[in-house]
Amino acid sequence: MRKVGIAGVGHTKFGRSEVPLVDMLALAALEALDDAGIRTGKGHGVDQVFVASMGAGLLNRQSSVASALVDTLNLQPAMAETVENGPASGASAVKLGYMGIASGMCDVALVVGGELMRVVTGWEATDFVATMLHPDAEYAYGLTLPAFAGMFTRLYMDKYGVTEKDLAMVAVKNHEHAMHNPVAHIQLVPSFHAIIEDEDAPVINPYVAEPLRVYDVCPVSDGAAAVVLCAMDLADRFPKKPVRIAGIGQATDTHVVAEREVPTDLLAVRLAAQRAYAMAGLKPEDIDVAELHDAFTILEIAISEEAGLFPRGEGHLAVRRGETRVGGRIPINTSGGLKAKGHPLGATGVSQIVELVRQLRGEAGGRQVEGARHGLAVNFGGFGNNVVATILSKEE
Amino acid sequence: MEPRMYAYRCTACGKLFHPARAVCRECGGREFEAVPLEGEGTLLTYTRVYALPEGYMKPWLGFGIVEFPNGVRVSGQLNAEDLAVGMKVRATVGVVKEGVGRDYYGFIFEKAAQV
Ligand SMILES: [Zn+2]
Repeated sequence: MRKVGIAGVGHTKFGRSEVPLVDMLALAALEALDDAGIRTGKGHGVDQVFVASMGAGLLNRQSSVASALVDTLNLQPAMAETVENGPASGASAVKLGYMGIASGMCDVALVVGGELMRVVTGWEATDFVATMLHPDAEYAYGLTLPAFAGMFTRLYMDKYGVTEKDLAMVAVKNHEHAMHNPVAHIQLVPSFHAIIEDEDAPVINPYVAEPLRVYDVCPVSDGAAAVVLCAMDLADRFPKKPVRIAGIGQATDTHVVAEREVPTDLLAVRLAAQRAYAMAGLKPEDIDVAELHDAFTILEIAISEEAGLFPRGEGHLAVRRGETRVGGRIPINTSGGLKAKGHPLGATGVSQIVELVRQLRGEAGGRQVEGARHGLAVNFGGFGNNVVATILSKEE
Repeated sequence: MEPRMYAYRCTACGKLFHPARAVCRECGGREFEAVPLEGEGTLLTYTRVYALPEGYMKPWLGFGIVEFPNGVRVSGQLNAEDLAVGMKVRATVGVVKEGVGRDYYGFIFEKAAQV
């Protein structure tokens, strides 16, 4: 198999898009193509385009988005597909780009993830996201992702002693990180005292799905992120040394959450991470920086354990010790995470990769992890029933 | 007639599933028989959700995961106060969502009678 790297990255400011879906995707794509030194127009050299979107059909009434993006960027006759894998669509698209190049079928692939969500109300967005649940056994009950996250949090608290304060610490940390990331949606750090300790905390930070509160849940955001993948044997073509995709792992678990044997386990996270480590020839101790799918604060803690960064039941202790903030032993969600950077579903998995590339290149500014060589991203689909883990390594 | 809820027993190995599947996870079997799921169960976890999706007019709804004595675990709505993990609940079947032209039936768990 050929080795595959990332030659360019692009990212729109997450939040509210002023432009339609395909134009927004094009903004991220053009930034990534420019970053990779690829000249648009005839002879562009892009062989394949993957677009990750969970909701183009349901939210924007648009299908075949990848073909539309090829048209506006005039990347014909590149191959093109739209990829839908729930909130893990982004990492799945990167995986498919990797496979395309590793197989020898193409040399250069453009992968763009994006979602235009703020065209609907919050209630409609919650309903749309819930369509990934089991239609009869879950969705029909009014169950949502926050509902499952709340039930999971209660079990985690009972079993491991995680507290609401621990969760608020994750939120505040990620908002602090986001202050150094110009493309993050929320540029404001909540006061820990106000959201959890103050007598008005239940008003400032009310419950959304007990025991999870507003500040435990990611915002609804528009946004797009893009990467240019290349064969490492062509690395000399690009102005910046490509960051290598060292390992990718993916795994599924039962669709129906109630059926899981140990309800506090996220088996697909564990397996996906193990597969990615095995492929990369690395161990959890080798990881210097991680982007973990914190759609809910509890997930950052649970994923950090399942990915082997901390022993089971001790992720929240690492948060208390400050190990997961920039400057700590293993900084998590330096971008601000889904919590503060935002979570435009199809964009998220690509956005995590963009952040790791910036970290490994040393381009992360005020949130830079010094000397970072290996980065891990975990993109979580469903309530953990389809998970993709990706490991990037800096080429020496 | 009162609607009922079912688990599906693999006729080859006896493993129970809810909802129905095409293939048994345990033995690969493809034939199942319906077994009514009713009576009391144990509440494994629960939540009260305040931000309900489009289509619900209530300010909040309770949800829980319940284990029946036969080992089958299901999600459902929870119509009870003073909840605690491990408490006994009783399965009822009711309208969990009103749809256009059809209503959706499912589990609504209530507090089991005190013994
Ligand atoms: Zn069987």
